[in-house]
Amino acid sequence: MRNALLVRRLALAAMAGALLSIWAFPVLWALLTSFKTERDVLAYPPVWWFTPTMANYREVLFGSSSIVPNLVSSMVVSVSTTLLTMLFAVPAAYALARLRYPAKRASGFYVLATQMLPPVGLIIPYYLALQRVGGLDTYAGMIAIYLTFSLPFAIWLMVSYFEDVPFEMEEAALLDRAGRLRALWHVILPQVRGGIAVTTVFVFLNAWNEFLFAVVLGGNRVRPVTVAMFNFISVEQTQWARLAAGAMVAMAPVIVLGLLAQRHIVKGLTVGAVKGGGRR
Amino acid sequence: MNKQGSVAIQGVVKRHGSVTVLHGIDLEIEAGEFFVLLGPSGSGKTTTLRILAGLESVNAGNVYLDGEKVTDKEPGERDVAMVFQSYALYPHMTVAQNIGFPLKMVGQTGDTLTKAVADAADKVDIGHLLDRRPGQLSGGQQQRVALARAIVRQPRLFLLDEPLSNLDAKLRMETRVELKKLQRALGVTAVYVTHDQEEAMTLADRVAVFMDGRIVQVASPKEIFGRPAHASVAGFIGTPPMNLLAATWQGSDVFLEGAGRVRVGVTSTDARPVTLGVRPADLRLAPEGLAARVELIEELGDSHIVIATLGSERVKLRTEPTSPLREGDRVQLGLTPDAAHLFDRATGARLN
Amino acid sequence: MTRFETRERGFALALLGPALLLLLLITTAPLIYLGWTSLQRLDLGMPWLSGLAGVDNYAKMSADPRFWNSLALTFVYTASTVLLQVVLGLSLALLVLQIPRGQGVLRVAAILPIVLAPVVVGLFWRTLVLAPDFGLVDLVTRALGLGSHNWLGDPQLALISVIAIHTWQWTPFAFLVLLATLATLPPDIYEAARLDRATAWKRFVHITLPLIRPAVVMVVILRTMTALSAFAAIFAATGGGPGSSTEILNLYAYRTSFSELNLGYGASLAVVLLAITLAVSWLLFRRRRAPA
Repeated sequence: MRNALLVRRLALAAMAGALLSIWAFPVLWALLTSFKTERDVLAYPPVWWFTPTMANYREVLFGSSSIVPNLVSSMVVSVSTTLLTMLFAVPAAYALARLRYPAKRASGFYVLATQMLPPVGLIIPYYLALQRVGGLDTYAGMIAIYLTFSLPFAIWLMVSYFEDVPFEMEEAALLDRAGRLRALWHVILPQVRGGIAVTTVFVFLNAWNEFLFAVVLGGNRVRPVTVAMFNFISVEQTQWARLAAGAMVAMAPVIVLGLLAQRHIVKGLTVGAVKGGGRR
Repeated sequence: MNKQGSVAIQGVVKRHGSVTVLHGIDLEIEAGEFFVLLGPSGSGKTTTLRILAGLESVNAGNVYLDGEKVTDKEPGERDVAMVFQSYALYPHMTVAQNIGFPLKMVGQTGDTLTKAVADAADKVDIGHLLDRRPGQLSGGQQQRVALARAIVRQPRLFLLDEPLSNLDAKLRMETRVELKKLQRALGVTAVYVTHDQEEAMTLADRVAVFMDGRIVQVASPKEIFGRPAHASVAGFIGTPPMNLLAATWQGSDVFLEGAGRVRVGVTSTDARPVTLGVRPADLRLAPEGLAARVELIEELGDSHIVIATLGSERVKLRTEPTSPLREGDRVQLGLTPDAAHLFDRATGARLN
Repeated sequence: MTRFETRERGFALALLGPALLLLLLITTAPLIYLGWTSLQRLDLGMPWLSGLAGVDNYAKMSADPRFWNSLALTFVYTASTVLLQVVLGLSLALLVLQIPRGQGVLRVAAILPIVLAPVVVGLFWRTLVLAPDFGLVDLVTRALGLGSHNWLGDPQLALISVIAIHTWQWTPFAFLVLLATLATLPPDIYEAARLDRATAWKRFVHITLPLIRPAVVMVVILRTMTALSAFAAIFAATGGGPGSSTEILNLYAYRTSFSELNLGYGASLAVVLLAITLAVSWLLFRRRRAPA
């Protein structure tokens, strides 16, 4: 009897292990590849023992195909988007979640609807408009369109966090003579600090990983890392190892954030899923 | 500003959409009174309290504090403090910061603030908890913090929304006593909402009984217990509550179908359909009277509750623990004439 | 209305107004412009032909085989990825529930695909996983004796490959959400069911499934939206090719607008995609509100 249980446990563990590897392996494989020379990469049968080299990373960071300017681009766009988004989204979400005003349901639906827009539908008019005013390849233009997916998403995520605060909090604060603005600042916001942190992480992640908008509206000055990945691929050849190294560097911030905040991300995903938000 | 704490509510009507929650409430509360709003859930007592606080608007009528019309005034402008059922403590602040918050909001700082906080904390015996967070406190302690936060600014009116309902039974009893003592010591008018009639009876100077959005009786606990103005009040007060039986009143007798009759102290010329009310403690075993059959006996230790069938209805009566009654016994029950409460069968209004 | 209520309204409008205004500006206004553009002939490659074209673009679309192909591909892509994600995600969640100790590690592993940029995922798969000869998949198939294939160059295989890529990246999302939902199910009803002699399968069908239905529906909605607007991964992996074998409507609109520079027609394609997305989301939301 006990043996059967043990066998079952082992079988389950083996299956789980197999799945884990399906998910972790591509990334680990890329990591391995980034330390190989181009020749080692192309070798068949695959070389398991190889002498690692930092050449790829050196090239990707400091060499002629350095993606450091792209990292800077990504950083500027992502951070600005995140700051602007949170600035507008947090108050808006508070109003949606806890205040009474006319057309409340309609405005809620509107925010939800804007989240459903397919990006390709927005990119065409943006391209045309920015081209006319010379706004292509500018940070302002890029950030403006990044807001189209950040803002609704951030609002919906924050609404669910605001809804979790007991409703008597404002009433107690108002009776304590705080007034609405001070009630929000002193009493409500401190209670959604966690939610603000999680939302900020998500918004930053989405902005950092964006590709379509970056490639269409960017150019030589504004060129986030997601676009720079294609530097290593051309018609003649693919620089496999360098691509792997570049991808590792480009994804490093995102992976680090993900690992650090993983418990919160999972909570954020479930909260968003149950209450109606969503990432693309 | 005249700061005694008298309250007047005149003709207040409150609607939620198409539902009328309050059908015209009139109330006068004197300064320094411990006034209880009592009633079952949904009777409108909490709504009335929130209207006093300014957290809900009125569809008609007015509210006056110390003679001043405050119907349109904001909650923060009424000089009123409230203790919520859930305490509504600010979880991210320490106890001291919680208590000091109302003072901070009006610009008090420094030593005066600290001293006021310490004073309020001492009055409710939590001076040693000032550095803790609400999450680290027990229910009883949290409740005291809520109280301290209310008294720290010396308001002219205290509003309490079922503040004891989240405590366990024993703690509730102890806190009740302390609450009353505190109110006496501070001398501030208190308006207290509860659905627990025992609480109301023990705490109140006067009680307003709410039923379905109307005030049915306003009186001292003694009078409410002794002379309930309405059958609904009668059936609500007392543990166990008053027995209410359908009967016919003619002459100076009240007839119960299938059970017999009892003599009451008042006379009626015609046969009137009434509801006869008699408290379990007033129903006695008698040599002759109303025929009943014992169904169940609940043994409570210092007394027994006997549940019997009288005619087609069930009654409860209290007996000594030494009573020899058994289940299935047939007995005769009687009551003294002045223990009979007569209510009109249709309206429920008191007749004697 | 009391002063109290008026002030609450004013406060609400002050907080919500800026965001609403911003949204109007950056989403609704462009959409109107999109509609307008779709009614024009705007070909940057042949600028002398530009001008108002009425519904010509839409007429052209109905006769365009590449359009119908992209529509079919969109449907296949969306349906299969969402279905796979839910089935796999649920199975995994059920599996992992039985291994309490492994859950932490698995959750971390599940996070990785989700936080990666889709474009990077597409590139990873294109270069390291699906590359003929030395890609991971080829290594495995060769070792199993199934030979080497051109996973991304063969039209049929390419579609399967992109579906696999999308599923790989997003199944963890379904997995995590369903795992969390399953963990909140009260154990007593299972015990009651056991006492009523329900088998494991019956317990699953009659208790588990109905209870997790809201979560599953939400996952379906979110994942469908993502699948309809999927772009970066496919672009990176196949660019829509070979030919048009992985060219979902999204990609077709992009290619038309920015590779072939025919923005008028591209806009009309985008409008159709927008209409489809709104219709699908409306349908799904209605199902969400409908009782089981």
